[in-house]
Amino acid sequence: MPTYSINVNGTPRTVEAPADMPLLWVLRDLLGLTGSKFGCGIGACGACTVMLDGRETQSCQTTVADVGHSKVVTIEGLSPDGSHPLQKAWIEHDVPQCGYCQAGQIMAAAALLKRKPHPTDADIDAALSGNICRCGTYPRIKEAIKAVAGGNK
Amino acid sequence: MSNRAELSRRSFIRLVGGVGASLMLGSFATASCEPNPVAAAKSTRAFVPNALIKVDPDGFVTITICRSEMGQGVRTSLALLAADEMDADWSKVRVTQAGAGPSFGEATGQGTGGSQSIMSQGRHMRELGATTRLMLIAAAAKEWNVDPSTCRTEKGVVYSADGSKSVPYGDLSASATAFPIPPGKIQLKAKADRKLIGKGLLRIDSPEIVTGKATYGIDAKVDGMVYAVIARPPDFGGSVDSFDDAAARKVDGVLDVRKCQSGVAVIGKHTWACIAGRNALKVTWKPGNLSDTSTETIRAKLKALEIDHQAMPAGAKVVSATYDLPYLAHATMEPMNCLADVKDGSCKVWVGTQNPHGAQGVAASVAGLQPSDVEVNVLLLGGGFGRRSDGDFVADAVELSKMIGKPVKCLWTREDDMKHDHYRPMAYHSMKGAIDADGKPVAWSHQNIQTQRPWRGGTASFGDAELVYQIPNAGKLSTGTECGIPTGAWRSVEFSVLNPAVECFIDELAVAAGKDPYEFRHSLLGDDLLRNVLEIAAKNGDWGKPLPKGSGRGIACFGSGWNTKVAHVVELSVEKGKIRVHRVVAAVDCGLVINPKGVQAMMMGGIGDGLSTSLGAGITIKNGGVVQNSWTDYPWLTMDQAPAVEIHVVDSDRDSGGMGEPPYPAVPPAVANAVFAATGKRVRRFPIKLDELV
Repeated sequence: MPTYSINVNGTPRTVEAPADMPLLWVLRDLLGLTGSKFGCGIGACGACTVMLDGRETQSCQTTVADVGHSKVVTIEGLSPDGSHPLQKAWIEHDVPQCGYCQAGQIMAAAALLKRKPHPTDADIDAALSGNICRCGTYPRIKEAIKAVAGGNK
Repeated sequence: MSNRAELSRRSFIRLVGGVGASLMLGSFATASCEPNPVAAAKSTRAFVPNALIKVDPDGFVTITICRSEMGQGVRTSLALLAADEMDADWSKVRVTQAGAGPSFGEATGQGTGGSQSIMSQGRHMRELGATTRLMLIAAAAKEWNVDPSTCRTEKGVVYSADGSKSVPYGDLSASATAFPIPPGKIQLKAKADRKLIGKGLLRIDSPEIVTGKATYGIDAKVDGMVYAVIARPPDFGGSVDSFDDAAARKVDGVLDVRKCQSGVAVIGKHTWACIAGRNALKVTWKPGNLSDTSTETIRAKLKALEIDHQAMPAGAKVVSATYDLPYLAHATMEPMNCLADVKDGSCKVWVGTQNPHGAQGVAASVAGLQPSDVEVNVLLLGGGFGRRSDGDFVADAVELSKMIGKPVKCLWTREDDMKHDHYRPMAYHSMKGAIDADGKPVAWSHQNIQTQRPWRGGTASFGDAELVYQIPNAGKLSTGTECGIPTGAWRSVEFSVLNPAVECFIDELAVAAGKDPYEFRHSLLGDDLLRNVLEIAAKNGDWGKPLPKGSGRGIACFGSGWNTKVAHVVELSVEKGKIRVHRVVAAVDCGLVINPKGVQAMMMGGIGDGLSTSLGAGITIKNGGVVQNSWTDYPWLTMDQAPAVEIHVVDSDRDSGGMGEPPYPAVPPAVANAVFAATGKRVRRFPIKLDELV
């Protein structure tokens, strides 16, 4: 089985994995980073969203071989102690319900704010419409993102 | 309150107090419920007044939750009920999850469903908190040599009458144990004294969730664990004829391939090996006996059960309609899964389950053990909606672990989950009603025909319609027939099937009577609480105000179950062949609100489910199996489609109702009625397709 060196949450990690193994399963089953969730395996729900070089990426659709030198950031690495403004806003706005989709939602939001610090409602809709929530948290997700972004400038 | 109910609650407290640490898995390992005669100002022992509350010497209070968290906020709401009566410092309250424990009797079984958590356990949690507080006061009063009734408590501290003396709960943890559970009627706080109930507390699990640390069933891990994914038949009742696993076994990481009850299991070093191995597996399936079964044949089977309606009064204007409702998958975000470890005459499972004792029973039966040999660890559920009350996913993991002698985490892929659910039944409704010359309804006849024996209240002949509307000559026939497609409880259970028909048809009667659908409902409702929420929704939803052409508002309500009343006004437009929902205004009266944020969240969820199953998601059957695969063909509401939502919660002090089921059943009919308002055409089938309107 081939060996890959990938950078996850700022740390170089070496994994032995088949080339076609999706990053999601590398994270979850080989590295024990279970914050990224499996929801569909076909890139249709966004539960597995991580950042690759700062861009939101569905880790179920990215093979370990494709990661290359890109820097992977998962929910566990978004901040050392849960202090990322989005994590704080998620708590303050009481966003999570079952919480299963929220790692993906937060990572998609984090990537959005990196490229567009003051998104409009339409920007938020466009960036997060690939992340399904079954509980009804969309309005609070939006509020939390807007609270962090501090308005459209 | 009856004496019997009082007795039952008191015996519950004694019983819970008596079983102590046996309920807990780990968290109470060092604690004891035995009286500790040693009183000391600084304690090193935890105070465990009952099996669900622990006060540590450092002042932290740990509350054990005997219900499963699946997004309804139960770990927050049950904890805050106990903490409020205890006058605990909420910042020092932690929760821990109970596994399948000893039975506490009917009222407090550990199943999470039927919107029962607060209704069945809320008062108990308050009473446990209240008795804990009295024991802490007793300990402080004895130390101070004062009358306990002169002491007061606030935020985890006992104060003497004049406030000159105070002691934090943690310092009483050893001495309080010496005091008995207080006798007599347990006095609960009056509304004005409540510090946490009704205040809107943040969800206790959020810090773990937003950092990825929260552990769901799918995240469970034990040493030596392997993974499994099962190739399952494409139809219901299908089975393995033969299989060729040569290619599958060559896949990197595949450890084994085994035939099992559900199909052929691929066991691997990681989930991907199992999925890739399954893709390489060649299975020849033997079809079950449903090869000719499709949505159309099932529909015909249901329609064949339709009988003549009750006679309509002579001279009245008669209105008829039919409504078709599809099977629905639960489609929890987290697909079914379970980790099981069967060895040495014991079995441990780690699972997100709504039914720990059910899981225990299934595991015992599959492992060939007694339920008492099975330890059930309940983890967070990435959604439940009724699906996780069943034990089929537990059976898979237990069977495989027993077979190969290792801990096995068996994951259902999304496709497995979609195609092997226990679906909300499909239903065919035939309706007939009559309006007299004054526009008053004078008859109502409802045939509810489902793909299973109907839940509660199924009758083979016309009986009481149990309508919220006061209509003379109202009858209902609830019947059904087994169609081979597995069914189960889905959010709001029977009312997800019944209420859309009732609320669509009352709308049709209103229009036939030349009345406004809101006014018509309002005039017929016999339930004051329901009428009140209908009024609130209509008023705030701008009922009656003009809208542009192609737009419309629909209204519907639900007040038939779980002691909660709900009404929705949906505003939508039909543009370029698409339905776009712009706004939903809802009102809810669930009695005493435990956590307003939780009520809002559950309403949001019910609205999301209602819109999704009105506008996109529906299960169809072909060749005895499910056509849909994933979110691509079972589309759920996404953020860009989500309307503005406004929820009005009635302030009430009556006993709390449920908030799991009630937010759903009025949403699909409110959408359908809004489609009529926008297009002048009626919905006959869900999910709604514009080219099927009549």
